[in-house]
Amino acid sequence: MRPNHRFDPLWMLLPTFVLLGLFFFYPLFFAAEKSLYAWDLLTAPSYVGAENYVDLLESGEIPHVFVTTLTFSVVVVTCAVSIGLGLALLLDRRGAFYSLVRSCVFSAYVVSWVSVALLWMWVLDGQGIVNHWARAIGLDPPDWLGDPDVALHALSFVTIWKISGYALVLFLAGLQDIPQSLKEAAALDGAGSFTRFSRIVWPLLRPTVAFVTITSLILSFQVFDVVRVMTQGGPVQSTTVFVYAIYEQVFMNLRVGRASALVCVFFVLLLLLTALQLWAFRRQQVEA
Amino acid sequence: MVFRISSVAIAWTPSPPQVALPMPPTPPSPVFFGGPSQKPPFIGRRRVLTALAAGCLGSTAFACGPRRGGDQRQGVPLWYTYGGKNREVLERLVQRFNSSQTAVRVDAVFQGDYFEGLAKLRTALFAKAAPALSHVVGEVVPYLANAGVLQVLDAYPGAKALGVIPELGQDKSWVGGDRHPLVALPFNRSTPIAYLNADLFSEQGLSAPKTWRQLIETARALTLRSGKRIERYGFGCPISWWFWVAMVGQAGGNVIEPDGRVSLGGEAGVAAIELWQTLVHNEKSMRPPPGRDFNAWEKTNQDFLAGRTAMIWTSTAFLKYLEENASFRVKTAPLPARQRHAVPTGGTFWVVLKSAPEAEKRAAWEFLMFMHETASVITWATSTGYMPTTRAAVRKLETTGYYARHPNDRVAYDQLSQAQPWPWATELFRIQREIVQPRLESAVLAEGNARRLLDEARQLAERKP
Repeated sequence: MRPNHRFDPLWMLLPTFVLLGLFFFYPLFFAAEKSLYAWDLLTAPSYVGAENYVDLLESGEIPHVFVTTLTFSVVVVTCAVSIGLGLALLLDRRGAFYSLVRSCVFSAYVVSWVSVALLWMWVLDGQGIVNHWARAIGLDPPDWLGDPDVALHALSFVTIWKISGYALVLFLAGLQDIPQSLKEAAALDGAGSFTRFSRIVWPLLRPTVAFVTITSLILSFQVFDVVRVMTQGGPVQSTTVFVYAIYEQVFMNLRVGRASALVCVFFVLLLLLTALQLWAFRRQQVEA
Repeated sequence: MVFRISSVAIAWTPSPPQVALPMPPTPPSPVFFGGPSQKPPFIGRRRVLTALAAGCLGSTAFACGPRRGGDQRQGVPLWYTYGGKNREVLERLVQRFNSSQTAVRVDAVFQGDYFEGLAKLRTALFAKAAPALSHVVGEVVPYLANAGVLQVLDAYPGAKALGVIPELGQDKSWVGGDRHPLVALPFNRSTPIAYLNADLFSEQGLSAPKTWRQLIETARALTLRSGKRIERYGFGCPISWWFWVAMVGQAGGNVIEPDGRVSLGGEAGVAAIELWQTLVHNEKSMRPPPGRDFNAWEKTNQDFLAGRTAMIWTSTAFLKYLEENASFRVKTAPLPARQRHAVPTGGTFWVVLKSAPEAEKRAAWEFLMFMHETASVITWATSTGYMPTTRAAVRKLETTGYYARHPNDRVAYDQLSQAQPWPWATELFRIQREIVQPRLESAVLAEGNARRLLDEARQLAERKP
């Protein structure tokens, strides 16, 4: 299709360019520039070159934060996708009971992050309901949010609890998109439930799995609220994930330059991760 | 059954899954008003949208407009950073000031906790939208003064005659504070004190520990075990820089030496961390609260109120809150000593921001004068637990018998004689937040080597501007 006027496509794209430029490219370039300065917002910035990056690497902050975030993301994505898929297979049935369970699981997703974090802080408290039950059956529960070895996993659990409903809904939609006739034909040919799943359901569900994985991964990389409310990055920085580290540098330590350097590193990492996933996804499509 | 969802928000879609959607929406029908008997007037979509847009614009304009119609008084934006009871008391004082005024009106706005408030203040200063008046923690006053954002208050009428207690004001809160232009006036000033569950102490015939050794023994005696499980801890304290500084002082050290060298207490710094390590890991009579900053402080209070901890160290700021909410008798005591008694002071100072218009700054000064009146100081101190900041207020509390009736209130004030001033160092808050605080957590929670961690911290403090 050819436009009536040569510049029509350009002015039609202009609003998008303006919005992207103002709220995406300008802040990104601003952060990239400020990452080369030592700046606290109040006094004049002084040029330090790559010193912010070197400091973050030498102090071990970037590797530590990256490993923490990655650990959190891998646990969250793996569990949320598995639980979402498992629940979708279990709940893809007619009936009021199944409707109710689906609604209950999904309801966690619509509750705000702060409310969820406050609720779980109470549940996971040293004297909270979880530890109370654990002690009642003779277990010696850990300090969920106070033990550096456990706190990150506690946050992962809370996040999985919240976003599994999201995966469930998308998997249900994916399952309903698979023609019933295929499953019936396979059943008539003698395929058992596992064979039907592995040969028909799983291959046809792969685009949904890829979609849920990518969106959950991005969501888990951007986690902030639960960390801010439940642990503030502690204990001993065991829950300091990327976004919280940026927040801490700029708002608590008053270091805009270092925070900007972290932003740039985070941006590049997310870009690489997304590119990797896109590549894997496209290869899957070609193979299919 | 077909599971339907009406919409799915998809931010980034390589190939969105096929979702069973409901029937396509019917074209929007016109909106009618009026009864069924008469032909209703037709209002088209465009009109409805125009009306909606006008409504939105109108409400936005209303929200952004002057807050008090017809109020001609000079407004003073005040950013404050308290929640709970302290917030209520401050708002009450602001209201009292406003109702007494024909020329000035203070508009107090809550800004989160101290550090959130400071972050917002800095951002607002950068955006040239800072308020005229705020209050900030003592550790950042030298930094803000050095950045040139604080108004010098020496020349304001009555600035020299406020009757401020020097240890709580700029003069003696910092080493050589009186040699700098006046930029900070005391507001909510505190010291750490010990809070005891007096019922438990009486039951076991114990008294407040006066030395570190007694602290260990008392905490051990008060810890209640049931097999491996600990039902009640003897002692609780946030793993926070403020309490560590107190212990460094008690062990005979200084965080920053008089010559400006960052020593972090030397051996005293190590001893302070080792005391915590002993209580947490060897004695298992202290539970380090989860969370950081004020979350940990709040948790310490909650554990004390719930009877899960028998004795805590926290700020005098929580005196009234703890007294009013405890189901047992609360007694306060000074912190114990090792080589000597020592406590840092804490809390915040009033600051006037230089960037504010002159009229606002003058009006802010009126409010500061009001807050330094004896009645205001007494209201603030006796309703919260913070220390009274003027000599006249202390005199009045003495003569009216308030301290005799409320001996808990007196403890923090008496500790002032042992208070150690902070160095006037622009990097103090960086040393606190970036260098020392994370290492305290590592040392106590992850049982790191105290000496090695402090050596590392010292090197960083000396290297980094």
